[in-house]
Parts: sequence; structure tokens; C-alpha cells
Amino acid sequence: MGLWMSRLLSMFGDKEARILVLGLDNAGKTTILYRLQVGEVVATIPTIGFNVETVTYKNIKFQVWDLGGQTSIRPYWRCYYPNTQAIIYVVDSSDTERISTSRDEFHAILEEDELKNALILVYANKQDVAGALSEAQVAEGLGLSDIKSRDWSIFKTSAIKGEGLFEGLDWLSNMLKNRR
Amino acid sequence: MFSLLYGFWEYIFRKEEFRILVVGIDKAGKTTLLEKLKSLYSGLPGLDPDKILPTVGLNVGRVEAHNSLLVFWDLGGQAGLRPIWDKYYSDSHGLVFTVDSSQPERFAEAKDALERALGSRDLFGAPILVLANKQDVPIAATKAEITEYLGLGIFDTRPWRVQPTCAMTGAGIKEGVDWLLTEIKKSQRALLLRQATYT
Repeated sequence: MGLWMSRLLSMFGDKEARILVLGLDNAGKTTILYRLQVGEVVATIPTIGFNVETVTYKNIKFQVWDLGGQTSIRPYWRCYYPNTQAIIYVVDSSDTERISTSRDEFHAILEEDELKNALILVYANKQDVAGALSEAQVAEGLGLSDIKSRDWSIFKTSAIKGEGLFEGLDWLSNMLKNRR
Repeated sequence: MFSLLYGFWEYIFRKEEFRILVVGIDKAGKTTLLEKLKSLYSGLPGLDPDKILPTVGLNVGRVEAHNSLLVFWDLGGQAGLRPIWDKYYSDSHGLVFTVDSSQPERFAEAKDALERALGSRDLFGAPILVLANKQDVPIAATKAEITEYLGLGIFDTRPWRVQPTCAMTGAGIKEGVDWLLTEIKKSQRALLLRQATYT
């Protein structure tokens, strides 16, 4: 009965989705989260632990979890994996030296059983920095083309300028609605 | 004993999986085609064409047809994303190349992209289905015009076919896909890929 009621309610109300924002430290995850939520650039400090905010966009309530990206705390990401509909993987496109580290972390995420149905959205962030890699270069660097069994998409973003972020959410909301 | 019988049962009734790569330059209608394909074969309504955004990545479509499981890989077609196509060739059984028949000014670009794909060794022996899409547009080039322009089959021994389609209405899609599936099943490549997955 309770199940039916909640189903009935969800037909009228907003759809909900749980999203994890992951990526190496200093990729811009927290800036992205607050840019999406309040629409401003806020001063951030390295996240130890997590930030969580709800962003409502196109009738979908995105519960966005931004997890700290430092090496020592990456092992804790997996505690947040269950019931996740999508991963937003953030890459610092200007950090060409660490793209291979980012690739390794990314592939470890892809292999997680609990995330095997999650949509993969990649933000090639920090496009405002001169010399930043293009989206095709980031896709190559991350080895995105190894993904063959699920949908993925990559967007050029600049969290500072607020570019590209909502285009990514448009894609996510389209995909989530299509899945039902 | 049971597991032996079960294994045998599975072997007989297992649906074979075929992977089909859908490429073409941007705005050719690949994602609209994929959504239409899904609804044609599964009966469920696909995404509304107005809501489809340019693909920057991969869309996967799985449908069952003729006792096989078809996996369609729809890749983004913008110039910067085309190098990604190469990474999917070696696992594909067949190729669908989509052309916007109503845009003659971009035929050269399409031909160039197609030739690049056909030149890849990783697509050796894969049947090629060219969709002359957007036939609903009155000025659309005909099947004969597209075939001649693309110059298919001149230096190529792979099975190929040009199929006029309209991804919005679904006209022509089934004929094309059915032809492709028949060719894939006949091809040596299917056998090679099958061996590759088991070793």
C-alpha cells in the first residue's frame, strides 16, 4: 500500500536521482556542485568527507554528492556507490600530467559492480585555462572508448564561468527520463 | 548431469549477440534513428525527436530481432569526436553509416568520413549499410544519387547496400537492418569475432 502511494506520488512529483561527483583532488568538484546549486562561484577548500546538495532541474531532483578526491580518501568513495543512478566524473583538463592517474581511478569506478548500471557523464573541466585539453583529448586520455555496454557523454565545462554544466545535466535528465 | 543438460539447453537456445556501429557526420540523424529502432523492435515509445541533443559520447541500444540480440552503438559525429569511432571498429559485426540526404553541401565531408572508416583494417569484412536518411525532405538526394556520389563497391569487396530511410517515421529502417543482420550472419567476420570472445 505504502509502495503504491509512493508510486502514485512520484507520478506527479519530481523524479529523484542520486548522483555522485567524483574525480581527482583539485578537479573542481565542489565548485561545480555549488555552481549548479546556487549558481555562483563560492570559495572552496579541499573537501575532506563530502558535500551533498539537492539540485532541481527539468523536473528531476538531483541529489548530488560531492566526495573528496584526495588520494588518501578515495577508498571511501565506494561507501556511497549503492543506489547511484549516475556518476559525474570531473577531470581537470589543464592537468595533463595527472590524466593517467585520473584514468586509473575512472576505470576502477567502471569496474564496480554496484555502479554497473550508472550513467557516465564526464566533465572536461577548467576549459577557461589556456592549454586545456579538448573533450576529444580528455576522452582519449581517460579511455572512454573502452566503455561499450552503457551510455556515456562528455562535456567541456568551466565551473568558474559556468559553462557546459547544465548541458551535461540536460543529457542526464534526458537519459534518466527515457529509462523510467 | 543437470548442469550438462542445462549447458546444452543454453547452447541451443542462446541468443547470439551482434554489435552494430552507427556512425556518420553530425546532424545525420543517428540518435533519432537509434530511438526509432528501439521503438520499432521493442514496441516501447522512444525518446521524442525534439528532445534529442547532439551526442557527445555513446548511446547504446539493445533490441531483440530474428532470435538474435542486437547491440547498437551510436557515436557522436562532430569532427572532433570522429577519432573515437576507431576504438569501436574491432568489436563491431557491422557498420551503419548515416547520411543526411537533404544536405548536398556536406556530402563531401560524409564521403570523407566514410572512406576513412572503410580504410580501417579493424573493419575488415564487415557488411556496410548506408542509410540515405531524411527522405521526407522534398529536395533529398535519391538512393541512386547517393550511391553514385559515395562510389561504394568500387574498390571494396564487402557487402554493402544503400537504403533510403526516414528516421522520423521509421520508413526503410527495418528493411535495412534486416538486410544487415542477414549479411552479418553470413559473414566470416561473425565467426572470427565469436572465436575472439571465447578465447
